[in-house]
This record gives sequence, structure tokens and C-alpha cells, in this order.
Amino acid sequence: MSRADIDEIVDVVIIGAGASAAAFAWSLAETRMNILCLEQGDWMDPSQYPSTRMDWELGTIGAFALSPNTRKRREDYPINDSDSPIAVSNFNAVGGGTILYAGHFPRFHPSDFRVRTLDGVADDWPIDYARLEPYYAQNDVMMGVAGLAGDPAYPPKQVPLPPVPLGKLGETVARGFDRLDWHWWPSDSAIATRPYEGRAPCINLGPCVTGCAQGAKGSTDVTYWPAAIRRGVRLQTRCRVREITVGANGLADGVLYYEADGALRRQRAELVVLACNGVGTPRLLLNSRSKLFPDGLANRSGQVGRNLMFHPYAMVNGIFDERLDGHQGPTGCGLMSQEFYESDPSRGFVRGYSFELLRGVGPVSTALWAMARGRLPWGEGHHEAYAAAFDRTAGLLAICEDLPERHNRVTIDPLLVDGDGIPAPKIEYRLSENSRRMLDHGVARAQEVLAAAGAAETFVESPMRPAGWHLMGTARMGRDPERSVVNEWGRCHDVKNLFVIDGSIFVTAGAVNPTCTIQALALMIADEIKNNLANLLE
Amino acid sequence: MSADPGQSELSAAEHHALVCVLDAIIPPSRDGRLAGAGELGVGQRIEEVLQQSPAMRPVIRQGLAALDGLAVRRGARGFAEVERERRADLLNEIAAAQPGFLPTLIFHTYVGYYLDPRVRETLGLEARPPFPKGYEVAPIGPARLDRVRRRAQMYRECP
Repeated sequence: MSRADIDEIVDVVIIGAGASAAAFAWSLAETRMNILCLEQGDWMDPSQYPSTRMDWELGTIGAFALSPNTRKRREDYPINDSDSPIAVSNFNAVGGGTILYAGHFPRFHPSDFRVRTLDGVADDWPIDYARLEPYYAQNDVMMGVAGLAGDPAYPPKQVPLPPVPLGKLGETVARGFDRLDWHWWPSDSAIATRPYEGRAPCINLGPCVTGCAQGAKGSTDVTYWPAAIRRGVRLQTRCRVREITVGANGLADGVLYYEADGALRRQRAELVVLACNGVGTPRLLLNSRSKLFPDGLANRSGQVGRNLMFHPYAMVNGIFDERLDGHQGPTGCGLMSQEFYESDPSRGFVRGYSFELLRGVGPVSTALWAMARGRLPWGEGHHEAYAAAFDRTAGLLAICEDLPERHNRVTIDPLLVDGDGIPAPKIEYRLSENSRRMLDHGVARAQEVLAAAGAAETFVESPMRPAGWHLMGTARMGRDPERSVVNEWGRCHDVKNLFVIDGSIFVTAGAVNPTCTIQALALMIADEIKNNLANLLE
Repeated sequence: MSADPGQSELSAAEHHALVCVLDAIIPPSRDGRLAGAGELGVGQRIEEVLQQSPAMRPVIRQGLAALDGLAVRRGARGFAEVERERRADLLNEIAAAQPGFLPTLIFHTYVGYYLDPRVRETLGLEARPPFPKGYEVAPIGPARLDRVRRRAQMYRECP
């Protein structure tokens, strides 16, 4: 460590440059504080995204795979998820998970913040929908959200951009919902459907989930980060934080991190902000042990790493007789149904789920999908079987609310380490009986919709193993320091200059993609810090 | 057919046998619009994969050698000399003894075949990556959601 490492003390160091960090940094930057963000990944180059190549379909089994254990980029860290039916999906770069996300941008419902009061399970949040609503609206504008106002499933809200198109595939599935008189609505999507704030409009490339070469998808490397940097935030890439350090006064005083060349450096800071997602954040806290915090930083409650929530997913694909042009349009965004979102005791489970449309896949993926399901023989009959599958599948995903359970958790693996020798996380997770019932209900209803839409047969995958996109609950928010890690504005109960702003702080999971709620929370926390600067440590 | 298992490139005889195997995995279509995988040149792609994946080489080499051996025992001079309609039977016969051979080849044959621009065009697709041209998709009509819009409030009010 050089003298220079020790001398500079920034006002704020943010760890991670994904969805929450970008929103938070942009907002807090208006204070003109000295803000530094450390990101273990790098800036992505959209000209290298798979959709620019003929073999674009192979991206998901290579450098753009969902699992870091498959992808194995230099900036990835391994995750031991062998003790979980759901495998973690993430991405490490400027933009974080938003580089690979579908762009789904549904808000939580008001009832999602009152789970204990309304349904007698889990805990209520210490904040409510009304508290977050202005931040949702602000975030929708910053991320460029497409959708349609007037959805009866939500309180009234405005949407900046017109919805993504349904296409022939979406129209086909929508007719199934219409025939059953069930709810559906165009997805709220962080996708610029018109030219927007310097972003080119969506041209329906298809594979949003391997990065958007057009720059239409609202990943934070093209939304918040350029604006935050213009406001003076410094973003240093290829810096992997090993631990957060603590002074004798019990406050965080900085971080130790590895630069790309493996050199260990120290960065001192007045405030430390964790934005590493629901697995990376508890990993770092648990790796930051000291005499004052022998069980991990900010973990006097023993709650760090516990209450891990995914969204258990079921995927049901229908096979149709006609071609659907399924490769045209955003893969994961099209329509959403919330017919079964709110609790109904007659269904045999509490809470609920959403349906999301899944568009079709390309020629190679069709072959591999059909082969895996025993529908594509080699040799005799190959071409006939392929023709019956190609461009004739439409899918529905049931995204189920998970409930927090103590035994579902992130710990530190005793053996596994990343490329810098930092101990890696281990996932211990079991599906609850409530989740199983909900998945089964979702599968049966999805089969009903697809049949109503004209599907001749359906194929089910439930739970989907590679669907651990949403990582929540492992440093949860609450007013009681014995039962939660951070307070109602993200400040750790045990360390008053340490904040958590990612999905770790979720109390419950809702039944929608969490990114817009994560970012709304990050904006809210930034405002709370601004409003409390004078007495932040009291 | 004998070759050094560690050698990076297939011999001419091995390549010829590979082409015949690929044509057995994906034969020409009955209507003649689609060529078989071997005829289409998927073998070249598989050779490239073998260059990048040394661990795969012995699996493929040993499989091809086993096929040839079986063909000789059945009275042919090698797998490439076996009549087309009998090749699938031989492939099935060696599948148990060479467990990695057929699944690996099927996977890479499917990938190579359906990446081929000629196959894509025959399937009715433009032979190009999605970017930069993209696709035109009609927007949702203004009245499309009228039925749903008329529904009563679905979300719960909260205390």
C-alpha cells in the first residue's frame, strides 16, 4: 500500500455499479460530494454483443451465460449453488444485472408492502407504496420506461413511452387471455420504444438478454451512469472489494480492494454504500470480520445472509400449428398478466404470481430445446420434427412470490474463492410448500391460457433452475435491530455510516421483477442521506 | 483408419467418415430443399470446434475408429463405404460403447447446421444477425386493451 492510498478520503465509496448504484450515485451527486464507485467488472462494448453476429444464439451458453459458474469471465466470482434448486444468475460489469436483464419494469403493488397485515405472513415493510411512488415515477423517466397507462392491476401511473409491440406471437397468446376473460396488459419495459434521451429506439432485435446492441434497453451503463459521471461521480472499473474496514469507533472507514493487476489497495471513505446484489452484499459483509464484528459486519442481529428470496419461476411452452414470428421483438417483454397476483385463500397458497410472455427462439435454440425434450430425432424424421417446432412455440413464465425463511441463506463457502482469493458465497435454499403449490397453480393456469390461445400441446419446466435472477432479502430492512440489518432508509443498524441499497434490503419479494423497486429504494435512500446530512450519524 | 489421438486435425479418412456420420445425423430433406449436414459442410465447423476443445478430440477420434471397425466387421471397407440406409444402425450400435461420441456430435451438428445461412434462408429467415437491421413489428392498436381496461380495480387498497 502506498502513502497515496491512505491519504485520500472520499465522502462516499459505492461498491458495485449495477442498477441501484447508478441511481443512487446520480441522485447523491447533486450534493457535489466526492463520490467514488468501485466496480469489479468493466464497461461493456455493445458492438460485441451477440446480436451483432450470426451465431447470436450461442451467447447464452458462452460469455453471456446467466450463471457466473458457466460464464467464468475474469470479473465473475464463483457461487456454490449446488444446495439450491434455483441457480444464481447475475452479471458483473458497469450496469450489473441490467446488462442481461429482459428490461421488465413492473412496480410492486401496494399490498406487497403490507404482507403481514393483509395475509398474516412474513413482515410488513417499514415503508409503503405511497412513500416509493415519487421515486418510481422519477426512475421511470430516467430509465425510459415503455408501457400503457390505465392498467386496473395498478394504482394510476404515467408511463413515458408507448408499449413494446406484441407481434404475432404476443397477439396469439393475448387472445388466450381474452377468451378466458383474464387480465393481461402490455409489459412495463425499460426499453426505449422511441428515440429517448440520446438512446436509439428499439428495433425488435430479440435477444435483449445477451445485451442490447442498439442501446435501446435501459441498462444503467446507458441511462444513469453517463448522467452521474457528468455530475462528477468517479467510476473505477476492475476493482474488486475484498472487505469493508472499520475504525476503533465502530464506523466503517473504507474498503480494501484488488486492482486488475492484483495489487491490494485501500480506499478510505466517510460513507460506505453496498450495492452488490442479494448475494454479493452479504458475501462482503460476512467476509468483513473484525474484533468488533466477529460474525461479519453489521451482523449483530445474525440476519445477514438469511431470508434469501428468489422468484421461483415455472416455464410453460405451447406448440402452435402456425408460425409466430417469435424471434421478432424483445424476448422477455411483451405482456404480463396479474390475474392471480393478489392473495385468494381458495387457491391453497398465500400471496400470488404474475405471468410474463416469453417470445420464441431462433433456429439453433429451437433444435437444442427440442432435442432436450426428446422431440427432435436425428436421422430419419429429423426435418419433419424440426418443422413442427420451429417458430411455433410461445411461452409463459409464472413468476411466483417467495416468502422469507431463515434457513434460506447466503453463507461463505469454506473452500471456494474467486480469482483474487476472496472467499466465495454458498447458497442454501429450499422451495417452500407454499411456493410449490403456487408453481403448480401457475403451471395449470398457463396450460389453460395456452390451450385457449390454440396450443396443441405444452411443455413444462418447474421450477426453472437457471432462474435465480432476483436476489433479495439477505440484509433486510426493518425498524427492529434484532430482526433486521438496515433501517427504513437503508442505514445499517450496527454501523451508522454503512448503507445497503440493493435487493438485499427487501422485506418481501412481491411477484414481479424487482429492478424498478430496487432503484426506487436507492433514490429514496439517496434523498434521505441528503436530507439528513447534518445529523447522519446520530 | 488410424491416427494419433492427440493430433489436432482429423486425417482425410477421418474427415470423410465424419462427413458421412453428419449426413446420417441430419440427412437431406425428402423434398430436396435442405442438404444433409455433411454435404452442407458442417464437418468443417466441427473441425474448428475440435481445434478449440482438445478434450473432445479423442472422443470423436475413438468414435470414428470404432465405427470403422464395426463397418469392417460387417464386411465393408470402412464406415464411409456402408450404404446410407445402414449407417444409422451402426451409429446406434456403437452408441453404448462410445457414450460421449454421438451426443457430442449431435449437439455440434445441430448448432452448425442451423447456423448455416443456406438453412436459415430455407426456413424463411434472412441470413443475417438481428443487429443492425432489426425487425418491423406492428404497434399495439389503441382499442386492443378495451376489455381489460373496463375491469374493476384489481389491486388491494392498503391501510
